Amino acid sequence: MKRIFAWVLVLVLCLTTCLAVAETKVSFFTGKIETIDLLNEIIDGFNAANPGIVVEQEYQNDASSIIKVKFASGEVPDVMTTYEQEFVDQGKYKDLSEMNEWWDRLIPSMRESCTDLKTGKQYRVCTNMTMAGFFYNKEIFSKLGLTPATTWDEFVQNLNVIHEKMPDVVPWFIFGKEAWHLGHLIEFIPHGYLKQSLGALESKTAMLNNDSAELNFGAADGCMAVFAQNLLDLQAKGLINEDVLTATSDNCVEAFVTGKTAMFSNGMWALSGILEANPDMADKIGFAPYPAYMPDSKPVVLCAEDSGYSISATTENVNAAEAFLSYLFNAENQKKYAEALGSPSAFVDVDAEWAPKAFADEVNAVLNNAVNIGFTNEKPAGFSGDDAGRMVQDLLAGTYDVQSFAQAYEKAWNEGF
Amino acid sequence: MKQKRKDLTQWMSLPALILYGVFFVYPLIKGVGMSLTDWDGMGKANFVGFTNFARFFQDARAMGDIRTTLIFAAGSALLLNLVGLGYAFLMEKPFPGRGLARVIVYLPAIISPLIMGYIWYFLLQPGRGFLYHAARQLGLEFFLGNWMSSYPTTMAVLILVNVWQYAGMTMIIYLAGLKSISSDIREAALMDGANGWQRFTLVTLPLLMPSIRINVVTNIIGSLSVFDIIMALTEGGPGYSTESLSIYIMRMCYGSRTGYSTAVAMILFLIILIPVLISLRLTRGKEQPL
Repeated sequence: MKRIFAWVLVLVLCLTTCLAVAETKVSFFTGKIETIDLLNEIIDGFNAANPGIVVEQEYQNDASSIIKVKFASGEVPDVMTTYEQEFVDQGKYKDLSEMNEWWDRLIPSMRESCTDLKTGKQYRVCTNMTMAGFFYNKEIFSKLGLTPATTWDEFVQNLNVIHEKMPDVVPWFIFGKEAWHLGHLIEFIPHGYLKQSLGALESKTAMLNNDSAELNFGAADGCMAVFAQNLLDLQAKGLINEDVLTATSDNCVEAFVTGKTAMFSNGMWALSGILEANPDMADKIGFAPYPAYMPDSKPVVLCAEDSGYSISATTENVNAAEAFLSYLFNAENQKKYAEALGSPSAFVDVDAEWAPKAFADEVNAVLNNAVNIGFTNEKPAGFSGDDAGRMVQDLLAGTYDVQSFAQAYEKAWNEGF
Repeated sequence: MKQKRKDLTQWMSLPALILYGVFFVYPLIKGVGMSLTDWDGMGKANFVGFTNFARFFQDARAMGDIRTTLIFAAGSALLLNLVGLGYAFLMEKPFPGRGLARVIVYLPAIISPLIMGYIWYFLLQPGRGFLYHAARQLGLEFFLGNWMSSYPTTMAVLILVNVWQYAGMTMIIYLAGLKSISSDIREAALMDGANGWQRFTLVTLPLLMPSIRINVVTNIIGSLSVFDIIMALTEGGPGYSTESLSIYIMRMCYGSRTGYSTAVAMILFLIILIPVLISLRLTRGKEQPL
């Protein structure tokens, strides 16, 4: 009897091991906190519909840093949302250019945004678009008879009116403790100017080749010096918040939803936080482009790819990873995803209510009237957006004057290469 | 039998030696090797000699970080010992609620420095923090500024928060040291006509040397490798002005400069070692037998 029991036990163990071996595990690595729950729900649906494949989501707050450790240790996830030019150059991602079932459904400009400039291939699929500009309080603007500015002079004029007529309201709230936010100001304003003046492709090429004649960051009347001068002027006039160096994005949202600030710069990812903090704001949020601040320039708005997915070049689970992404990219899941994220879908067959209608209409109007720019993916690996933001912190703390800021930026950029 | 026991005792140290070798000696040797390469954390590592070390001393940001780290360590170690010693003298004498007072002073030390940093960040926020509102109510106008927007005030805040957190720990070691001093010696000094200052400098302080040595060494090591409090309070800002060497190492490592960051870690190791050796040397001769 004991012997039979022992044999049964061995058999059960063998079967369990075989089943475990037969199961394909797909690791999915992400840094997007806002979609964890929804993606878990989608993953559960995929796992249930695909016996033998188990997708496991791993979220890391500092995903762009952690992925480097994963690459170094050889524990590379099968699917990931982190994407860097240096990883593309090192051949870390699988070429997805042939995945026509995905590309045929994607807005062509988004496929272009996903294309690596050096190889002309696609190593990621971006499922959404994101926009960044100024979020403003429509109620305050309407009370003061203001309209969103298209030039820097109009912009300063608006801030002045708010400051004079509503002294308790911060005209423009900048949450400068978070260096990425200040880095974004550089990304959208001076870099935005370069992108519109040189052209999308030409500016990418100039940045990729570090063409100093075109970029001209250190010039006394260049885009960086004028940006710095404008920012310091606003600080001196009290048109931005006094605690600019210690304020956080939470402080900003709180100030905005309580009517204590009239506007702030951010991307669509901020929308859900605002509406969560005060659902009544839905009809009061306006959206405006970054005003033209250089001679002969135009207002700009960020319209870039969001939520990109890549597959590891070394994964042994290519089919399972592709099956998971195909499931994730289906129209039903993407509608849910766009609505949860608060970003329009990049798929043509997805009709999502990603924002309150009035706000979405306003965003669309801005996209039609301003120059659309993308993110700078071609910046030097040794000079991150965070580094740039820290230089703006130094500027606002009085470490730099205008000229030394522009020169220091140029130096840091060059050294980053 | 005795020989067998001796052999067994020697073998019993083996697990500790293995752990020491795996977790200290091997990483140290590996680290030294890595610091001489240009490894980016992923690709092939090329031998670059002492380039990383030379580059460190040419980097203005790194030099600023050394200054910040040294100021923080000097300020913290000094104040921690003064405040800790003061607390120990206060808490040595019996008074109602002494036990509770000791717990209150020690309590911050058991809270994570990261959480402590965030708590102080929220307390100090201009226009929003509790201390800002309290100061306004009390009419303390000088307190209403932004204490974390300039280098000197931010450094002062960082040091004071660190002292506030760890003074209790220093106090406990000094209390133990004071307890170990025989009351006979103090009474003898009193009977010999020594005044309070003389009793402190000529009797108590020399006998406290072992406690001073422990406190100074641990405070220097802890303060020179500071990370959490600065990350929570300022993230090394504004700019990189309050960035410590530990934070610099982390950022360089995650910035695909693994070889360079390992070289900086070696330099930090030496920076910590030098003052520790000096303080050990200075306090050794001053110890008095009980």
